[in-house]
Amino acid sequence: MAYELNGKTFEADEEGYLVDISAWNADLAVLIAEDENIEMNDDAWEVVNFLREYYEEYQIAPAVRVLTKAIKKKLGADKGNSKYLYELFPYGPAKQACKIAGLPKPTGCI
Amino acid sequence: MLSTIFAVLFYLATAVFVVGLAYRIRLYARTPAPLKIPTTPAPITRQGVVARLFREVAFFESLYKANKWTWLFGWVFHAAMLLVVLRHLRYFTEPVWFWVNWVQPFGKYAGFAMLAGLLALWGRRFLVERVRYISGPSDHLMLVLLIGIAVSGLLMKYVAHTDIVALKAFVLGLMYFNWQPLPSDPLLLLHLSLVLVLMFVFPYSKLLHAPGVFFSPSRNQVDNPREKRHLAPWAAALDANRQKAGSE
Amino acid sequence: MADFETIKINTLFEIPALNRDVMKDSSPFVAAPAHQEALGFPGELVDDWQARAIEKFGELLEKSRALRVYMDGCVKCGACTDKCHYFLGTGDPKNMPVARQDLLRKIYRRYFTFAGKYFPKLVGAEDLTKEVLDDWYSYFHQCSQCRRCSVYCPYGIDTAEISMAAREIMDHIGKGQKYCNEILGKVHKIGNNLGLPEPALIDTLEGLEEDIEEETGVVVKLPVNVKGADILLVTPSADFFAEPHVDGLIGYAKVFHQAGVSWTLSSYASEAANFAMFIGSYEQMQEVAERIRKAAQDLGVKRIIFGECGHAWRVAYSFMNTLVGPFDFLDPDYPVPQHICEFTWDLIQKGELNLDKSANDHMTLTFHDSCNVARGSRMGDTPGGQFEIPRAIIRAVCNNFVDMAADTIREGTFCCGGGGGLLTDDLLEIRTKGASPRMEALKEVVEEHGVTHMAAICAICKSQFSKVMPKYGFGMDRIVSLHQLVSNAIILDGQTGTEAETDETEDVATA
Repeated sequence: MAYELNGKTFEADEEGYLVDISAWNADLAVLIAEDENIEMNDDAWEVVNFLREYYEEYQIAPAVRVLTKAIKKKLGADKGNSKYLYELFPYGPAKQACKIAGLPKPTGCI
Repeated sequence: MLSTIFAVLFYLATAVFVVGLAYRIRLYARTPAPLKIPTTPAPITRQGVVARLFREVAFFESLYKANKWTWLFGWVFHAAMLLVVLRHLRYFTEPVWFWVNWVQPFGKYAGFAMLAGLLALWGRRFLVERVRYISGPSDHLMLVLLIGIAVSGLLMKYVAHTDIVALKAFVLGLMYFNWQPLPSDPLLLLHLSLVLVLMFVFPYSKLLHAPGVFFSPSRNQVDNPREKRHLAPWAAALDANRQKAGSE
Repeated sequence: MADFETIKINTLFEIPALNRDVMKDSSPFVAAPAHQEALGFPGELVDDWQARAIEKFGELLEKSRALRVYMDGCVKCGACTDKCHYFLGTGDPKNMPVARQDLLRKIYRRYFTFAGKYFPKLVGAEDLTKEVLDDWYSYFHQCSQCRRCSVYCPYGIDTAEISMAAREIMDHIGKGQKYCNEILGKVHKIGNNLGLPEPALIDTLEGLEEDIEEETGVVVKLPVNVKGADILLVTPSADFFAEPHVDGLIGYAKVFHQAGVSWTLSSYASEAANFAMFIGSYEQMQEVAERIRKAAQDLGVKRIIFGECGHAWRVAYSFMNTLVGPFDFLDPDYPVPQHICEFTWDLIQKGELNLDKSANDHMTLTFHDSCNVARGSRMGDTPGGQFEIPRAIIRAVCNNFVDMAADTIREGTFCCGGGGGLLTDDLLEIRTKGASPRMEALKEVVEEHGVTHMAAICAICKSQFSKVMPKYGFGMDRIVSLHQLVSNAIILDGQTGTEAETDETEDVATA
């Protein structure tokens, strides 16, 4: 599959994960999120931005616990828990938020 | 003429049965089992495995766990058939072995139990939707064949007696190469023909389940992979390469 | 994919009526050329795939007695027909173990038997056509290789062996499964299924050390690549990444800490899972297992212990000695390898762990036997130890434990629905439906005995249940790691504040 944005085509795999990570931009994130029925509010952006920062440093998405701790620091304890993250990204913060952040899908027994 | 045809066919059938089966068993025995795959919990000693196989063969332990009706029909059929076959040894031995005489009274009635088991097993192939789905022509025909053998045998025993003395002479003649005429009773000829078919198809059909069960790795392996290293010949070749690569 | 938000739970073990071909279109994404070629398989379906498939099949028949005997031996008795969770969940007759086997057996008969060559119709032999290949791809990826059918087969025919062979054949003609093959590539390159590189692993573990210290006031280390440590812990990478897995990892760390042993993880062998088993490749399985041997040698450890992972334990317990043994460089006083449950149970028996059972009083537990542990391995010295030891640990750390219905546990346990390389989003429908027998059994103990949580010792089970339980009306946090229970109960030397961790999503009062 692929995403169309401003006349440009962005190639994605069968599940909608961007093939070229560097092609990502904020408008594209909003478009992918729309596809997933997710509204990109400020909190969702915090998560997506953290994922990208973490990925830049470690070449992998953060573990769920690492993510919740980071969000707790940024947004407070009432939002820094997996329940809230699942409210933001019902299909799972790791997989769905990675897709919106233009990162590869985490694989394995998860 | 008829006697000659049957004599030749019996020699041929015996050869196919013995050679075919021996070939198959050799194939099973020679094909390596690369990994330890007993279905656990499994015995941790050789003796334990012998006991497991014995329970499997004598009591159909796994089938009992699976489905009580199928177990009942299947076990009754097989146990009765065993008695019937043993009873038939009286036509192959002179003097008749003493223990074959002991089997005789049970063997006589076991024919009915065998038939009942077969009919019940066949009934499942029509009445149970799942079993109907997996039944192919050969599955039905195999049951028809066995039912035919049982019915023709029972008819000779209880309805239209055949010349059993002459039949025994024919059988012993086959065994000792001193050929005797075969009584041309149609029921007997039918019975013998069906037995011939059974002998011919045995090594080429699902009847291979009989030797197969002894070679089934999920049943015949000892659960001791941590204690004892298991290595199949073709895997040993890979292993040698691996160790060579590791030491470089 | 069909929409299946919440699933109605059937009466326990109601056998469904046949619903032909209903799951025909359920098949996983095909591996991309890059995934295939990294494992030495053709990138895409080769032109002469039929000939190559038959050739590979013939080779496998020569190499595996199981395959040979299982192809010949089936009498179509029907004993297995109601034993597969995917059949019970879908009613698709091709999910009956015998029918699944027949997809391969009809080709075996056609090309490798006298009867099938000359009387194909009579014995149900068929040519290998594109339709057959499509059926293979769909239905051999609807088998989680859980071996439940093999328990009930009078000849021990194990459909797992047959689906492994079928997948091996498909890999060799260029039609591999994306999920498994992509992951195997990551293991070869990075060392684990996730593709978690060493710096990320270290960062994650440091975070966990902080968490434990915050919770207990005790410094508990999660060491990586420590040369000369006594024990190498090999655990599924999901234990670093996912919930509730990570709570189990914390549990192992606390147990090691309290035992006073020196232990380490390895970033090179940072994965217990061995997906090569799922695709039936001996060579791949050996290559993955070799990493563990190498890590153990390089670090100079004396023992290898495996964390909670079902199929990994099967590979470790049953195959590792064969694949990459002998392990004569390890301490002969300990089994190679050991399961973390064996280690923990040993300590509990010796009274070396200070346990406060009441820490788990907010839960009533049941235990899900993972299929590969139950039917493909053992723990301890006696057959069935794989059932007794985990339960003994739970009883030692919890006051409230109830088993599910007898024919759904131990050797008759139902797969979670996500094993065998099916734990991927593109197979969510079959995963959800396949979970239904387990969910039925769980529902029964929830209603009758007030069970609140189910413990498991497998990364796949844990991920699968947290994904599909909500579809059956259970919270995703109802699945817990066994060592999470140990972690709750264990009182470390010098620990501050020993009350149980409060679970914020918990709604059940103490029992």
